[in-house]
Order: sequence, then structure tokens, then C-alpha cells
Amino acid sequence: MGRADSLAKLAWAYGIHLTRRRLTRPRTQLEDLLHTYAPDGIRALEPAERERHPHLVRCINCGLCALAAGRMGKTRLPDIASSYMRLYARLGEASTDIDGGEPDFEAAASACPVGVPLGEVAEIVRRMTAG
Amino acid sequence: MASVFPGRTPIIRGVSAPSAHDVCVIGGGVTGAGIARDLSLRGLSVLLLEKGDWGGGTSGASSWMIHGGPRYLEFDWETTRLSTQDAGHIVTIARNLVYRVVFIIPVLPHDRNNIERMETAMEVYDRFQPLKKAHPHRRLTADEARQAEPGLSPDVIGAVTMEEWGVDPHRLVYANVEDAVAHGARALNHTKVIDLIRDGGKVIGVRYRASDRSISEARARVVVNATGPWSPEVSGMAGVPVRLRPAKGIHIVYPHRISNFSISAESIDGRDLLMVSHAGFTLLGTTDDDFYGDLDSVDVLEDEVDYLLQAFERVFPSIREYRPARTTAGVRPTLYKWRRYEDELSREYEVIDHAAQGVEGFVTIAGGKLSMYRKMAEETSDAVCRKLGHQSRSTTATTPLPGNESDMESPSELARRCGIPALAAIKLQSRHGCRAEKVLDDARGGRLVCRCEPITEAELAYAARSEQVRSLADAFRRVSLTAGPCAGAACVMRAGEVIGGELGWSASQRFDSVREFVRGSWLGRAPVLGSAGWAQEELAQGAMRGLELNGAR
Repeated sequence: MGRADSLAKLAWAYGIHLTRRRLTRPRTQLEDLLHTYAPDGIRALEPAERERHPHLVRCINCGLCALAAGRMGKTRLPDIASSYMRLYARLGEASTDIDGGEPDFEAAASACPVGVPLGEVAEIVRRMTAG
Repeated sequence: MASVFPGRTPIIRGVSAPSAHDVCVIGGGVTGAGIARDLSLRGLSVLLLEKGDWGGGTSGASSWMIHGGPRYLEFDWETTRLSTQDAGHIVTIARNLVYRVVFIIPVLPHDRNNIERMETAMEVYDRFQPLKKAHPHRRLTADEARQAEPGLSPDVIGAVTMEEWGVDPHRLVYANVEDAVAHGARALNHTKVIDLIRDGGKVIGVRYRASDRSISEARARVVVNATGPWSPEVSGMAGVPVRLRPAKGIHIVYPHRISNFSISAESIDGRDLLMVSHAGFTLLGTTDDDFYGDLDSVDVLEDEVDYLLQAFERVFPSIREYRPARTTAGVRPTLYKWRRYEDELSREYEVIDHAAQGVEGFVTIAGGKLSMYRKMAEETSDAVCRKLGHQSRSTTATTPLPGNESDMESPSELARRCGIPALAAIKLQSRHGCRAEKVLDDARGGRLVCRCEPITEAELAYAARSEQVRSLADAFRRVSLTAGPCAGAACVMRAGEVIGGELGWSASQRFDSVREFVRGSWLGRAPVLGSAGWAQEELAQGAMRGLELNGAR
């Protein structure tokens, strides 16, 4: 009974929906979506960033890059890739962690056993922490 | 009526003399913890017993969501309404533990539901969304959907969005336990009920075995069975049946966000699957299969992993390029129903007073889901209070959980004052809310033990000292130790030292605890090790040489 009732109500709602779609002109809702969730740090990735993303999040925090290049601001280099590059929605509140310092990303990346492009990662993390 | 056992009992381990309580709650999942909290807030003396760790069973193996369940609109709108309403209460009392999760629900050609049907469902769901402080849905064209998430398949013909709340179920369970204890309850984890004490047709208490193997008894006027899928086993001790249809669900865990948006996908058999973007990781699941095996040993099969990946590859083609860290497996305590596919079963719950079956003093709460835990706990507590003649109303819908008594300060300010990274402060606040600074009140200060999460040594020591952490696996649940990309390779030895130091472990006990943890973790990692996973495993084995992990290989 509960299921029959639920399906009947859904069928009625479907009829209303189809009628409304015929009578109103659709408008774009993407901007609304992104605007609504911007305060929660939920944003779209750029297509290029998306393509590279599986490589950007490969870090296993082995620490070898730290031996090659040290810190970015107060933060050890592997932590940039393993801890900050996790698309934390609230990363904008952690900008003080990486202020200053410009380690040798090339040396760091060449030491990485899983091929994390640390320069790219640092750039994205900087952008995310900038809000 | 006032409690007949007015004295408050502190947490004591290894007690052998019988203790006496108004209520004994068996099961330290979210429902049992919620019941203990509810009854304690009503002024009753409560004993809460959990055979493993808090939230270590079904609660922890969930999708980590407080959701209204639009799926149930096909079956029972009332379940959706109640679930959404209770989600609103939970979001209010546990602000530090929740965060918004926004789904893109893409529609592909030949999907079970076309875009108009999907939007209809979301329009109906929008009526319930304000109950849980969520925004209404949006409809996206194919191009817009791919702008929001460029990883979506080019075959997508449109999408709708839906908002839910994410939550850390382990912390949610522990927050309930903590508040219950703060209001006088006694709560023991790693303590297994081995028998119910009966007097004729009445259950008058429990006999339990503590982690040190000592056997104790506790008397209670009412015993509550809140053991989820283990309910039939516990009710069997009282000689009454509870019929469930247990269903196994697994998730694949990625140690980072794959997307800022969560994504749904249709499986090969037409089921709705979810890739859920949580704070710093992604859960991909879930399966829903009748389960007949050993509830204490639920393995993940590679076939189940492939089933999930196959579905997501269709909407998110690059999914196999990501390296999963582990899997989770749990069993839902679904109410019994014959001749229905698993996915068609409702998540209804039932409070069973076994007096109707001739057993007084024994109540079971069966079925339900995480999103409705508070309401389930309230109704069970109401039933208990009726039996006890105790006149008191539940206040759990409005009383904040620990850490939510006041607004949190800015994490950067907390970080500056305590000398920890701002990211560590964010994570600390997400677990402890406005009580975060208290956790750092330790000589170790802000030294990091787990860098991926990140977790300070002070917080880990606090968890061992004040949050009933008795093993590294408990620390995983309480503070997310080893939940990051290194899967413990970089931190587990040091973590064993910190916890062992607090609990007085010898050197060999510390070593054994690490070995036990790594072996246990292996069971969850093995089903998802691709080539990158194996490479990491080799590295981890090297880092942990001397642990004699051959059993794990």
C-alpha cells in the first residue's frame, strides 16, 4: 500500500513536471550551482587540471622529496602533495602554512618514486589556499 | 520518577562485582550510543557495552552520510520525511562533524530513469530538503554538467544535482558516547556480552567479558539490544527471535577527493551507486547483497570491486587511473522481508518490546539507518521509559553534542596560538569542535605523528588517555590515524609509541600492536591493490622491515 501510494504520488508529480517544462523556458543553472556552493569550497576543476588529476594525487608520503628539496613555507614538501592536495574544501583557511619559500620542485619531482609533478601540485595548492 | 540508582558511576575497567543500572544498552554503534545518550540525559543510570570499538561495525562501514534518502520516495515518503527531519536535528547538534556533499546525478542514454524522471524525483525531494537545511536541486545540460565536472563521460545527456550532508560516523558515535558518560553513563568498549541474566521470564541483567578476559555481571531493569545485524544473536540469548535480512555493502576508499562534486552512477543491474566526496577522501559504493556469512568476518571480494568500478567507468572514465587505499565492508540490519530484491528493501526500523513474547525487561531496536539514528534512539528510549514508568522527554534533538556548545574560533588563530599547521587545526576542530584547544593541552604540543591527515601527537595521546583508544585500529576510528595516502607506512610505528606510552605498553606490546594493525589493514587493502598499490605496498614493507608481516603477504 505504501509503495503503491508513493508511486501514484510520483506519477502525479511527473505529470506536473512535464507540463511545467512545456510551459516555461529552461534557464541555465550552472552559475547558481557554483555560486551556492562556493562558500563550502565546492568548485569546478579546470579541464586541464582534471586530466592531470590522477597524477597529482599519487603521493604516498614516502618523504624522498623532502630530502631533495625541503619545505614550502613551514610545510614539508611531501605534505603539500599528500595532505594539502586532497581538495579539502576548507583549504582557503590554511594559507599561512605555505606562505614563503620556493623549494627546488624539479629536484623534488625527480626524487619522487611515483612521479608526482610537485611543481604543478604546489601551484594548485597555492591557488586553493588563496581561496 | 527519579532513577532508582541515583549514584553516578565512573568508568571502571575490569570490575568483577555486579553493578546495577536502570538500563543496560548492548551495542556501541550509532544507535546504541544514541540510546545511551538519550537515557542519560533523561536522568537514568545507563551501562553501555560494545564488544569491539565504538562505531566499529555497521556504523563505521556506512557511506558516511546523513541523507534523506530520495531512493525511498519510490517506497515510502514517510521514511524520507522522517529521515530528512532527523538529519536536520543531527546537523544542528553536530555542526563540527558535518559538511555539505553535493551530488551530480548524470543521465546517460538507456539509463533506467530519463532526465525528466530524475528531475521529478528531485523536485519532490526538494520539498523535504529545508528540513535538513539543504538547498534545492539544479538541472544541468550536458555541457554544464561537464563544466562542473570535466571528468564526466561525453555520453552524458544531462544531469541534476542533489545536496546531502557528510559526517564522520566514528566521531558521531563517540560524541554520543562521550556525552552519555558526561551525564553519568558507564561505557565500556572491547567488552562482550556473553549471556543475559534471566529470572524466570524476565531479563534482569547481562554477563560480560572485558578486554582483560575478566567476567563481570551487571543488573539492569531493562536491557536494550541495539546490536544491528547481531540482534538475532543477542535476542537468541533471551530465547526470542528477531528476524532480519542482513545485507552486505562494500565501499572502495580513495585517500583524496577525486572530485569536489559527488557523482552517482547506474550499475549493470540498474542500481544507483555513489561516489561520495568527503572532507579529504572519496568513498565509492555501495553493494547491497543478502549476507549469510560470519558477521565478524566480512571480506571484500575482487568481483565486488569490479562491479563498482565498472559502473563508474561508464560515467567517469578515468576512475581506474586513481589509486584506492582500501575497502570497507559492513552488514546492514535490514528488517526481514520475503520476495524482494535487496535494493527494494526499505530502511524502516522497529522497536520491539519482547514482553509480548513473554520476555520482560528486554527491548530490541532493529533496522533503520545512520541518518535516523537519533530518532531511533529517542523512540527506543521512550519505550524504555514507559517500561520504567519514568516521566521524561528526549532532549537530544536540541542539546548540542560535545564540541558544539559554542562557536569555533578561526583555525588559523588556533594554529597560531598552539603552534600547529592551520590544516591540522582545521582537522582538529572537525573532530573536537570548540573543545579543540583542550586536546592540545599536552607537553608534546603540536608535533605531528600522522602527516597525511594531519594529526598531532598530543591529540593521539589524548585519544588514548581520554577517548578509550586501546589499539591502533581504535585510533584509526577516533582520529583517522593512517587514513591518508601513506596508509600508515610513515606513521604507524611512531603512533604505536605514543599510544603505548599512554597505556603503559611494554616494547614488545607496542611492536605487536603495530604488527596486528598492519595485518588487519592488509585485509582491506588487498582487494584494491593495482600496480601502483603494489608499488606502495613494497615501499611500506621496506619501511616496516622487522615486523614479520609474511602472514599479510
